[in-house]
Amino acid sequence: MQDSISTRRQLLLQSGGGFALLALSQLLERDSTVRGAEGSQYARGFPVQHHPPRVKRIIQLFMTGGASPMDTYDYKPELERLHGQMLGPKEKPEGFTSPAGAIMKSPFSFAQHGQSGRWVSSVFPEQAKLVDEMAFLMAMTTKTNVHGPGTYMMNSGFLLPGFPCMGAWISYAMGNLTDDLPTFVVLPDSRGLPYNQKGCFSSGFLPPVHEGIVIDATAKPPIPDLFPSDRFAFASRSADHDGLELLARINQQYAEAHRGDDRLDARIASYELAAKMQLSAPPAFDLSQESELTHSSYGLAQPETADFGRRCLLARRLIERGVRFVQVWSGPQGAVNNWDNHGNIEKELPPMAVSVDRPIAALLRDLKARGLDQDTLVIWSTEFGRTPFAQGSVGRDHNGGSFVTWLWGAGIKPGVAHGQSDDWGYQAVENKTWCYDLHATVLHLLGIDHTQLSVRQDGIDRRLTDVHGHVVKEILA
Amino acid sequence: MTESERNSIVQLPFDQGTFGIPGYAQLRGRIPLVFLLTALMVTAGFARAEEQAEFFHGKVEPILRRHCYECHSHAANHMENGLALDWKSGWVAGGDRGPAIVPGKPEQSLLIRAVGHGDPDLKMPEKKLDAAEIDLLVEWVRRGAFDDRVVSPRSKDAEIWWSLKLLAAPPIPASQPSAANNGPHPVDAFVQSRLAAIGLSPSPAASPRDLIRRIHFDLVGLPPSPKEVAQFEADPSEVAYRKIVESLLASPRYGERWARHWFDTIHFADSHGYEHDVGRDHAWPYRDYVIDALNSDRPWPTFIRQQLAVDHFEPESGHLIPALGFLGAGTFDFSTYSTGPVTFDYLDRDDMLTQTMATFVSTTANCARCHAHKFDPITQEDYYALQAVFSGVLKGDIQYDSDARTAAERHRLNLLLDASKRSDATVLQSEFSQGLVAKWLSLRGEGADWKPVDMRSFISTEGAKLTREADDSILASGPAPQTDTYVLTLTSPLPRITALRLDLFPHDSLPMKGPGRCNNGNLHLSEVVLTAFPPGEKAGNPVPISRASADFNQEGWAVDRALDGDPKTAWGIHPAVGQPHHAVFELAQPLDMPAGTSLTVTLKQLHGGSHLIGAFRLSVTDRPVAQAVALPREVEEALNVALPQRTATQSQTIAGYVVRLAVESELARLPQPASVYAVARSVKIPTGNGNSQPASIAAPKVVNLLQRGDISKPRAEVPPGALSVLTHRPSRFTDIAPQNEPARRAALADWIAHPDNVLTWRSVVNRVWHYHFGRGLCDTPSDFGRMGGVPSHPELIDWLAVWFRDDAGGSLKKLHHLIVTSHAYRQSSDTRNEAAAIDSDNRLLWRQNRLRLDADAYRDFVLAVSGRIDFTMAGPAIQHFQQSPGAQLTPKLDYAVYDWASPGSNRRSIYRYVWRGIPDPLMSALDFPDLGLLAPTRSNSISPLQALALFNNNFVLFHSQAMARQIGEQTTDIDQQIVEALQRAFQRMPSAVEQEQFRSYVRQHGLAALCRLLPNSSEFLFVP
Repeated sequence: MQDSISTRRQLLLQSGGGFALLALSQLLERDSTVRGAEGSQYARGFPVQHHPPRVKRIIQLFMTGGASPMDTYDYKPELERLHGQMLGPKEKPEGFTSPAGAIMKSPFSFAQHGQSGRWVSSVFPEQAKLVDEMAFLMAMTTKTNVHGPGTYMMNSGFLLPGFPCMGAWISYAMGNLTDDLPTFVVLPDSRGLPYNQKGCFSSGFLPPVHEGIVIDATAKPPIPDLFPSDRFAFASRSADHDGLELLARINQQYAEAHRGDDRLDARIASYELAAKMQLSAPPAFDLSQESELTHSSYGLAQPETADFGRRCLLARRLIERGVRFVQVWSGPQGAVNNWDNHGNIEKELPPMAVSVDRPIAALLRDLKARGLDQDTLVIWSTEFGRTPFAQGSVGRDHNGGSFVTWLWGAGIKPGVAHGQSDDWGYQAVENKTWCYDLHATVLHLLGIDHTQLSVRQDGIDRRLTDVHGHVVKEILA
Repeated sequence: MTESERNSIVQLPFDQGTFGIPGYAQLRGRIPLVFLLTALMVTAGFARAEEQAEFFHGKVEPILRRHCYECHSHAANHMENGLALDWKSGWVAGGDRGPAIVPGKPEQSLLIRAVGHGDPDLKMPEKKLDAAEIDLLVEWVRRGAFDDRVVSPRSKDAEIWWSLKLLAAPPIPASQPSAANNGPHPVDAFVQSRLAAIGLSPSPAASPRDLIRRIHFDLVGLPPSPKEVAQFEADPSEVAYRKIVESLLASPRYGERWARHWFDTIHFADSHGYEHDVGRDHAWPYRDYVIDALNSDRPWPTFIRQQLAVDHFEPESGHLIPALGFLGAGTFDFSTYSTGPVTFDYLDRDDMLTQTMATFVSTTANCARCHAHKFDPITQEDYYALQAVFSGVLKGDIQYDSDARTAAERHRLNLLLDASKRSDATVLQSEFSQGLVAKWLSLRGEGADWKPVDMRSFISTEGAKLTREADDSILASGPAPQTDTYVLTLTSPLPRITALRLDLFPHDSLPMKGPGRCNNGNLHLSEVVLTAFPPGEKAGNPVPISRASADFNQEGWAVDRALDGDPKTAWGIHPAVGQPHHAVFELAQPLDMPAGTSLTVTLKQLHGGSHLIGAFRLSVTDRPVAQAVALPREVEEALNVALPQRTATQSQTIAGYVVRLAVESELARLPQPASVYAVARSVKIPTGNGNSQPASIAAPKVVNLLQRGDISKPRAEVPPGALSVLTHRPSRFTDIAPQNEPARRAALADWIAHPDNVLTWRSVVNRVWHYHFGRGLCDTPSDFGRMGGVPSHPELIDWLAVWFRDDAGGSLKKLHHLIVTSHAYRQSSDTRNEAAAIDSDNRLLWRQNRLRLDADAYRDFVLAVSGRIDFTMAGPAIQHFQQSPGAQLTPKLDYAVYDWASPGSNRRSIYRYVWRGIPDPLMSALDFPDLGLLAPTRSNSISPLQALALFNNNFVLFHSQAMARQIGEQTTDIDQQIVEALQRAFQRMPSAVEQEQFRSYVRQHGLAALCRLLPNSSEFLFVP
């Protein structure tokens, strides 16, 4: 049955030009009071659900630039012993920005934390206190050493542009939890978009309705085009109100004159839902409703944590109100202000670490305090790791060989670690985990069999996990 | 859900073949390999057999296929009189009349008699073959009728996928008489016979208003004017309709509309995509090329050839170079290009070949990158052969002449230049060349009369010792610095000078006897700067030099490099060391040098490694520059030989030089070339802010088959080629000279555009159909493989394909005309319960499909109703955003702050600057596709966010206001205003109810508020 649902869905989608009724079907499925959905062949079968879900909502934290594993979570004493020796590849590997330098130890001290005894470096003192709640993927690996393709891969499973990202797939497969807000929200760093710009949040070949809605946490209105600009006086609130009513009437007249076309009914519903969103979205973005204590725990008063902290808090508020998937990015693309620390690990990494450490810890504690950990998953991720070899003398270059991701929350076995990199942290060696496996695991937690969620595109049944992917059972509760 | 239930949702109530049976596809994948092996075994080692096979497959089989198979083959399922000509046994056994061919005896062969049309009882085919074709058949039979088609086609036949089947026009079904039958339109004959078979009839014709709106949006992407609607409603005759169709097809708006479809299909946009999503400010000439090609109805095969290899096919038409923008349409990963070059090469070529094959032949060749295609007969070797087609080009900006005459002139001059470089005797001894020589000789006269200058001071800024020798030359000695600059101040023996000559001399004190101070005797003159000081003045005036010439130029270090302002380039003379040399610097204007005037000559020698001048002298002349120019040594020597004694070689040397000189000066006079983002061997890769980075490939790169697509596992080298499953042409392009890069692309273009390529013609007619009906007959327009859709009307696709190829001569406009004059196209789009119950998805076209406007048409419609639309064509793309610097190469774009009153803001959407990674939110809300990938179809979503965008986006609000303002200026009467607004938006009168509803709304909230509602209405958004 599940198979045929997804097949039907594909067929619907595939039928393309003028016939993609997905949005309609979502509308109908979600809220049968919108119109009598009984008897509609599109109403059955959504959301895609292959087994009972453990997770309903997700916050993904993405460290742009390639967060260094051996300076954060992947302790490598061997680097201290070999420090300064030229042991790296002789020729510049594809995607390195310069030839490999000497082995470089981490400039930070490591200590074990919690019952689980996870090693964490001194850059993450707050997250270190929560390691017993996290499950670590210690041997993540990817196909590229280049930011653009790497960021695509971690988001969409492909090195190329044009493929739907995980958030879009989830929106496509599961629909929304609320009509009040978008299903998939992206909160980029206030300093700019990540690599690939909005390509990372694209719905690719899925209908654009599933793409990530980029929200500038400081902008008013938070959702683009939520309200008309003040520049247009004629678009007053009362004109809006009466206008929507009149519009519904003329659209109704048109639908009645052209019976049998569900899309015309869906359009009427879409304006009703838009009006709902206008009412419920602004309060969701209003952080002044949060207590002083909450503000301070997320670090909103300190300039170094304010931006990421604000967005973490916003993520919680959105999740709480039914947004399905929120992505919070740390760092824009570029040579500075992100995790791409080529020049000097000791100087460039700590400010980034400080900017996220306290907000992340606050977010996890807050989710738990509110019981949201029961159905919320948090993912900490990046596009690749960094070389154990120095770049210049104190920086690190790109390295797709091994990096770290952690998961927290519903369905996760707390305090475990899966996989291991080699003694230098250069290559993943044991229980290698690809983006495919991470994505398969996330879909699994949502109740979706990743091999069953596919859309045919240009001759291939495309999946988020391509033709790969294994659920990492070892980190599941 | 059961299998049959599933089928009933969207699939068709007719034979589904073997589609979907597990294991079947894997079985199919092996077949081409078997063929390959068989072919190899049969022909290996037999040169004669090989030759014969080549003759047969190259010349004879195509004739049989085109003219005979329709009635005599397994594939056509038709063997008239029992005769099959698609394999050897067929003609050996023959039909009712006996064997068709007697090998070696054309005169006794029935086949030859039949095609000769000599026998009134045996004339085949009906339309007589060309004499040349008959000759080939006769020749073939005379030579023994070699034929290696020994495997029964029947066994193969059963497994041939629809799109790979032999392309022959099926007979047009007899028309079913019915009320809706508008006569014998072939499209309707096919559509209606399918409908009749399941007991359905077509819908009645759409109303005149619906039809004229439909045809306008479809062909030109714009609404008809209220007047046009009224006229057609008054006279909805066949003649009137055809007139409308013809005038729309003749409108320049047609090319603008259909170019958009093409750009979706090929993922053309104005930025790179990926991490460094840099803008391509010169992508637009390709856009203009496509619009022009569509408007001028370029035949399809020409359109194919131009876009893949216009440089090969039409070298004289440099103005068509933008056609190559086709191959540059896709993404460019600048970051991988910079740091992972091998990966980049494979991925970038993958982008080009995926696009080419999906677009022209609806094939997903890219699925064979890591292993043989799992579903279609495409081998991994085929895939890498396609990679090799593109292994000699890079994407980037290239130069071209936008003016056809300039382009032709440049081509002619370049041919001359090549000829002179090759010492082509025919060209050099031609009257034209000799005329040039005579003219040059008379101009040159005795040559310049060089007067040594009076050197007042000579200084080495790096402290080398410069001394004046007895012959007035200057000699450098002492420790040689790495770099040096000589500052020489002189007065002129002539009151007016036109050129300066620098002589370099060998000297025993210099390494290798000089004339340079470098160990190998060489020197590098980086820059020459002249400054004139009028009498008594301290401030000098720069003296521009227009041109430099030298008797000898080191390869890559020509003397013009000393004038280019770039300190890294220079003039050198290696390996001609130990001998004198000279260079002449022509002044841009004659310089008056009255007594007391001094001239400073600065000789910068900045290369390093002591590439310095060892011994030199300066002199000046007042003769015309044509006489002053420095001649290459061999030319000078040839000239020194008196005419009667001059050898032919010497004359040719002189002619070669003179022709080159003339051509170069002509070339310099041509207008500056323009730029287009396309592909070439040598390009400039845009890196943002108008900057670029040069890149080039000397010769096509070697392409290896990669095991599992892994760049670290290269296997055998693969020559350029295409799909081996098709046999209309050899699938490997082996006869191409290694350096002839364009010939590779040309070979692929020929392979695609060939009349017997079964995919090409099916692909294009189906793609066109897709846009007319919102869905193709095969609903995956870029995939005709086993993972694609199964056509609803396979016979109609084939009939259209053959008709388009043979009768329409590849004219898209004829194809549009044919389709839109069918009843299938013109019928109502309203649903009918009894038909929906049988075919709910309208696969069999019992009604027309009601289409939602796409993003581009919507935007143009809003512009049109506002009265602001601007039909200016061509030129740079319009940016609907404010651009500011980003962290790296990608800028930040802000669409929200754009001022919709800006110049060009009201031009059609096709002139929009499409930024791949930072799309326009309004366009995305209306399903403008992500052009990171090919977008052969668009989705049509409906969502609350789309509603918000249409209701609140600045674009819509601005134009609602503009529309209201314009209508307000026409009339102050509210009822009249409402009529005008509805006429613009819906091209109809308001009903009484509407008039009432709108009047009270306008009274309360103003006309602009009403104008905002109209583009939010379903009637606006849907094309009936």
